[in-house]
Amino acid sequence: MPEIKRRTFLKASAAGLGSIIFSGLNCKGIKKMKNPPHLVFEDHFHFSQEDLQKFLNISLSRGGDFSEIYLEYKIYNSINMEEDIIKETAESISLGLGIRVLSGEKTGYGYTNDLSREKIKKTALTAASIASGTTLRNTASLNPVQFPHNFYPLLIHPSQESLEEKIRLVKKAYSAARNFDSKIKKVKVSLMDLDQHITIVNSEGLKVSDARPLIKMVCLAVAEKEEKREAGFSGGGGRVGMEYFAHVLTPEEIGQDAAKEALNLLEAITPPAGEMPVILAPGHSGVLVHEAVGHLLEADFIRKKTSIFWNKMGKKVGSSQITIYDDPTIPNFRGSYNIDDEGTIPKKTLLIIKGNLTGLLQDRLSAKLMKKPLTGHGRRENYTCIPIPRMSNTYIDRGEYSPEEIIKSVKKGFYAQKYQGGQVEDSGKFTFSVNSGFLIENGKLTSPTKQATLIGTNIDILNDIEMIGSDLKFGLQTGSCGKEGQTVPVNDGCPTIKIAKMTVGGQK
Amino acid sequence: MEIENSAELKELAASLVAFGKINGAEEIEVSIVDGYEFSVDVRLGKIENLVEAGSRYLGLRILKDKKTAFATSSDLSRETLQSLVKNAIKRSSFASQDEFSGLPAPSSRKINISSLRLFDPEISTLDSEKKISLAMETEKIALEDKRITNSHGASFQTNEIKSVLANSNGFLEEYDQTYFGLSVGLQAGDTDSRVEGSWSSSKIHFNELERPEEVAKKAVERTVRQLNPRKIRTQNVPMIFEPLMTSWILGFLFACVSGVSIYQKTSFLVDKLEERISNSSVTVIDDGLMPRMLGTRPFDAEGVPCQKTRVVRRGILKNYLCNTYAARKLKLKSTGNSSGTGVSPNNFYLEPGSSSPEDIISSLDKGLILTRTLGHGLNPVTGDISRGAFGLWVENGEIAYPVSEITISGNLGEILNSIELIGNDIDFLSPISGPTIKVGELTVAGQ
Repeated sequence: MPEIKRRTFLKASAAGLGSIIFSGLNCKGIKKMKNPPHLVFEDHFHFSQEDLQKFLNISLSRGGDFSEIYLEYKIYNSINMEEDIIKETAESISLGLGIRVLSGEKTGYGYTNDLSREKIKKTALTAASIASGTTLRNTASLNPVQFPHNFYPLLIHPSQESLEEKIRLVKKAYSAARNFDSKIKKVKVSLMDLDQHITIVNSEGLKVSDARPLIKMVCLAVAEKEEKREAGFSGGGGRVGMEYFAHVLTPEEIGQDAAKEALNLLEAITPPAGEMPVILAPGHSGVLVHEAVGHLLEADFIRKKTSIFWNKMGKKVGSSQITIYDDPTIPNFRGSYNIDDEGTIPKKTLLIIKGNLTGLLQDRLSAKLMKKPLTGHGRRENYTCIPIPRMSNTYIDRGEYSPEEIIKSVKKGFYAQKYQGGQVEDSGKFTFSVNSGFLIENGKLTSPTKQATLIGTNIDILNDIEMIGSDLKFGLQTGSCGKEGQTVPVNDGCPTIKIAKMTVGGQK
Repeated sequence: MEIENSAELKELAASLVAFGKINGAEEIEVSIVDGYEFSVDVRLGKIENLVEAGSRYLGLRILKDKKTAFATSSDLSRETLQSLVKNAIKRSSFASQDEFSGLPAPSSRKINISSLRLFDPEISTLDSEKKISLAMETEKIALEDKRITNSHGASFQTNEIKSVLANSNGFLEEYDQTYFGLSVGLQAGDTDSRVEGSWSSSKIHFNELERPEEVAKKAVERTVRQLNPRKIRTQNVPMIFEPLMTSWILGFLFACVSGVSIYQKTSFLVDKLEERISNSSVTVIDDGLMPRMLGTRPFDAEGVPCQKTRVVRRGILKNYLCNTYAARKLKLKSTGNSSGTGVSPNNFYLEPGSSSPEDIISSLDKGLILTRTLGHGLNPVTGDISRGAFGLWVENGEIAYPVSEITISGNLGEILNSIELIGNDIDFLSPISGPTIKVGELTVAGQ
C-alpha cells in the first residue's frame, strides 16, 4: 500500500556516505577559475513569446488568480558496471510542460509531452477549470529576466564529456574497490549525469530560464569472510564539472571508501539496544537536521497546522547552541539552484537561531496564503509535478566544542557514523537508519558496530542536544529527498553533535 | 506528432524495431506506455489540487555483438526516436560483451488477455464531479469523528494505461489497465502529542474499491488507536504482524529471492534452492495471472508470459524470481518477472492459514502487535532488519495500550523460521500481500 504523504530521505541507493569539508569544495581547484563559462540555455520548445502569452491567457480564461507554464527538457545518461564488465549504458530524454493555475487555495494542474498547440491549449483549459469565474483576466506581458549569479561554476560540463572518458572513471572506481582486498567479492559502480533545462513563464510577466548540471558516482562493495557478507557504499558528485573527479574526490577514493566500509562491517557487532547518549558524526549526520527540523519547517505543513512547529514561530524549540540554515546558493552543491522551480531567486534562509524558530521554507502558494516573503524553496521533480516547499542544502551551523572533547564527555554510548537514510512524520517522530558506527566506552570510540536504527521525537532531541562541535561538514552529494511522491536532489550537513539520550535499536 | 489510437502506437513500436534492424541492431525491443491520469486532493472540505493529464513514454533496448544499450524518451517524434535508436546502436559498442544478455526466446505460450480483466470500462463513466465527491465524502466522514484533530487530506485517483511491447523476435502485443485509488491521512491529539494514520484502497475495478465510509473508518481507527502511547523498556518479545506489516516483510523477502540479488550475491538466500528457509506452514507464491489483481499482467516487460511460481513451498525455497538475464546467469528459467531493467513482483503473497486475527491476538500472552514502521534499515545481504516502529502492546491476549518511539531489530531468516501462526485474512491490497502472522521473539528497543 502506498503510504500517503510521508516523507523520506534516502541517501543514493542506500548510499551517500563519506564526507567532505565544507570549504574544501571551494578551494580545491574549482574556485581558481577566473571566468566560469556561463551555461547556455537550450530552447527545445520553439514557442514564440506570443505563443506562451496566448497559452497563459487561455489558462486564466476561467478567472484564476495566477498561472504559470513550466517547460522542461532533460537528458539523463547512466553507465553501470558490475561483474567486471560495463553492463550497459542508458540515455533518457524527457521533454514536456506543465501548466498550473492558482485560484485561492486551489491548484489546477495539467501536463503534456505532446507539444502540439492543440494539446497545449487543452492542457491550459484543464488547469483553468479549477477556477469557476467567467471573467477573463489579462496576463502581464512577458519580460525576460536574467540573473547575475551562477551557482554551478564548472570547467567541463558532464554532458560534453565523452562516453569513453566517463567509462574510464567508472572502471577506476570499480578497480579501486575490487582490488582493495581479497575479501571484496563484488562491486557495482554507477555514474549518472543529468542536464536539465527549464523555462518558467507566468501571468505576472516573468520569463526566466536555467540550465542545471548534476552528476553522481556511487559504488557498492560486498565483502565476504567465512559465512559473513557485508556491503559498503560510497559516492560523490554535485552540480559540478568533470574536473571534480580529478580535484575534489577521485573515483579511486570512492571505490576505496566503499571497500573499507564493507571490510569494517565484517568485524562489526550489533550495538546494544536501549536509551543512551548518542554522538552524531559530522557531515553524514546532517540527515538529523533534514528530518528533525527541515521537513517540519516547510511552509505547507505550517500553513496546514499539521507540523508540530505550526504554533511555535518565534519560540524556543531547542538548545540555544543550535543555529540552522537552508542555503540553495552554495556553489556546486547538489541541492543548489540559480532559480527555484517557480522562477524565484533563492535566498540563504535562517530557520533556527540559537534555538529559536525564525524562518520557513516558502513556495509561492504558501507565501501568498501566509502573507510572507518568498524564500525560493518551491521545487518540483519534473514537469508532471506541482511545485511544493522543499529543502535544498540544510545544515546545523558550527558550535564551540572540539570533536575530541565531545567524545571524551561520554562514558558509555553510541557513535553514529554513516547512514542509509531517515524518515519523519509531521508529528515529529523520526528515525535514522545507521549503517555503521562505534560503541563509546570511557570517552573513546571502541568496537565498530553495524546496522541500527535511532528513533526520537524532534522536540525532545532538539532539547537534548548537549554539545555542538566546531567541525561543520557536509554529506557526500549523493542524497535525494522524497515528499509526496516527488524526489529532488538535496544535501545536508552538521558538526559533531552530542545528544544526551536517544533510543538505539540494536540487540538485547 | 499526433497519435490518437492504439493501432498507431503498435505501428510506431513495430516500425522502430524495423528501423533498428536496418541500422545494425541485432536485437531490439521497444515498449510504449500511454497513460492518462486524473487525481484530486481535497483537504478540510476544499479542493487543494486537481491534476489531469495524458503522457506517453517510450523505452528501447538494443543489442549488438551481445552488447547492450538502453534509452527512453517522452518525446515521441519520429525524428527524436530515430536518432535515439542510432545513438543507442553507437553506444552499445562501449558496453562489454555479455553472453547472458539479449531478448528472451519466443514463447509458444499465449495468455488470454481479456480473461485477466485488467480494464474496467466504468472508468469512462466517472465524471470529475463524482471523483471529487468521493474524496470529499471520505474526508468528511473521517472528520466527523471528534477525536480527529487535523487532516492531511483525502485523494482520489484514476489511471488508464496502455502498454505496448514489440521486439525483433516477432513479439507485438498490447494490453490496457485501469487503476482506482482512494485514500485519506489523519491526525489525532494535540499539537505536541500528535499521532498520524492513514488508509488507502487501490483496485483495478471501481466496484471493488472500498467505499468512502470504509476508507474513512479504517483511517480513523488506525489513527486514534495510537493516542496516548507509552514507551516500553528494552526487551525481546514475540510479535504479531498486521497484514500491512506482513506485506512489508514480504517485500523484503521479495528483494532477497529476486534473481538479480541472487546472481549479484547481495542476498542471504544465495545457494539456498531446495533448502528449508522457514517452517513448513509457510508457502509463498508469485502469480501474474490472477484476474483483477493489482500485480497481474499477461506478459512481463520483456514479453515473457506471466505464470504462477511457487517461491517457497511448505518452508522449502523452490524458485528465485527471474527476468531473462538473471535466469541465464543462474541457469534457470525466466519466471516472467522482468521490470525492464530489473525484477519486479507480480502478485507476491503468503498463502493464508486458518487462524482468525482475533484468535492470533488472544494466543499472545505478552508481546507486541506491529502496526507501522518508519525508516529504512533492511539489509538483504544479511537479512538484518532494524526499524523505527509503532505498535500495540498485548497482555494476556488483549490489547493493553499503544506504544511508540521504539525500534525493532531482528533477521528475516530467523523470522521466517519462527512463524507460529498464519491468519486467514489476506486482502490483496497491493501486489505484495499477506495475512496476519505471529512470529517468535524480536528485540524491541525502548527505554
